[in-house]
Amino acid sequence: MRVLIADDDPLIRDVLRDVLDDEPDLEVVAVASDAREAVELAELHLPSVVVLDVRMPHGGGARAATEILQRAPGTRIVAFSAYTDVGAVDEMRRAGVTEYLAKGVRNTELVDVVRRLGEQ
Amino acid sequence: MPVQPDWQDSDLFRLLVLGVRDYGIFMLDPGGHIVSWNAGAERIKGWAAEEIIGRHFSTFYPPEDVRSGKPEWELRVAKAEGALEDEGWRVRKDGTRFWANVIITALYDDTGELRGFGKVTRDMTERRRAEQQLTDRRRLLAHLVEAQEQERQRIAWDVHDDTIQAMVAVDMRLQLLARKLPQEHRDTVDQLDGAVRSAISRLRNLVFRVRPPGIERQGLRDALATYLADTAMMAEIHNELEREPGDDAAITIFRICQEALTNIRKHARASSAAVHLSTVDRGFLVRVVDDGVGIAGLDSNSGHFGLIEMRERAEAAGGWCTVSSPEGGGTVVEFWLPDVRP
Repeated sequence: MRVLIADDDPLIRDVLRDVLDDEPDLEVVAVASDAREAVELAELHLPSVVVLDVRMPHGGGARAATEILQRAPGTRIVAFSAYTDVGAVDEMRRAGVTEYLAKGVRNTELVDVVRRLGEQ
Repeated sequence: MPVQPDWQDSDLFRLLVLGVRDYGIFMLDPGGHIVSWNAGAERIKGWAAEEIIGRHFSTFYPPEDVRSGKPEWELRVAKAEGALEDEGWRVRKDGTRFWANVIITALYDDTGELRGFGKVTRDMTERRRAEQQLTDRRRLLAHLVEAQEQERQRIAWDVHDDTIQAMVAVDMRLQLLARKLPQEHRDTVDQLDGAVRSAISRLRNLVFRVRPPGIERQGLRDALATYLADTAMMAEIHNELEREPGDDAAITIFRICQEALTNIRKHARASSAAVHLSTVDRGFLVRVVDDGVGIAGLDSNSGHFGLIEMRERAEAAGGWCTVSSPEGGGTVVEFWLPDVRP
């Protein structure tokens, strides 16, 4: 199952990659550090699932989600954010995000959600 | 009651006027020359009666007012309209200035002829200085409160976007590491992971307390309700405001309520609490009431319980704040802020 990660925090990016790559059935195919790069890499690699930060340079997660879904409508997107306020969640849902996870959830929960979305 | 003869009345009245020390009370002839003088006038202006009687009252005005013809203009207005009230600088005998409140009244006799003017002068210098100081203090406090609010927000965002993110990464890394370790080491890493998670949770609480409460988005009442829900507090909100406060007033009300509610949560051991919001005297009256243990030996000037901070916030907004512990128990934080909008 091909996964793309987009987060502007290098610590989070690195550990996300390691957590997901540690699962035998998941493969991190690309890592983006801002919204624009996320869209480009999604178009290039056509991942099944994108793990997308909400606040990112160059348009943020909502814009990235909208554009990724325009170019590859089958992609499943999970927002992974430190912001859990209603406004942020609504904005991502409207942009077509399927799941919204707050940073701080257990790794196992994150892996389960990515796997479940990829199997849909 | 025996009727006093007229002469006695007027004599007493003359003595009263002569003896008054807080007000300068004297008379001018129709041309503006001084014809009587009292103790208050001497005290305020520094001239003795024999020095000043016969001189023109423009003597009391600063040169710029004399040049612009203000003394004559004031007499003209008093003559036309009956009286004139003015506040401004006047000059003492020694050349120093004082801030005066002046009332000039035109005096007509029974035939309608102008006999002269009565002039009552009050030295408002001290009061003006005190008002100025109060205004300066309010302005300073308002700046301090605003600076504090901005600083809080900056700290909140820094902790949220940087510190917590880094700790989340550490937490995820520790979970990953624990999976790869033999059981005997795994427990140690799990404990470490637990400590990091608990620190993240405490930091999130800190961010929640200091972050902007989102009043501009959801309104004061709902921001308070959200705060109560997030802190798991059972408190009623009675909102009888006729008008939603402006942003500045709303944030002040929210912060004072937050302080008062934090006190209740931490110290009051209350079984119930309520926030009452109402419109009083063209402003917002807020009462935060609980039925807890109260504050023994309450000293509102003490630095405890954020009492000074609450008062300063209210005063910076032009209002007041008072904290009391009624005999029946509990604590009441009551404050009022003016609605400064038109």
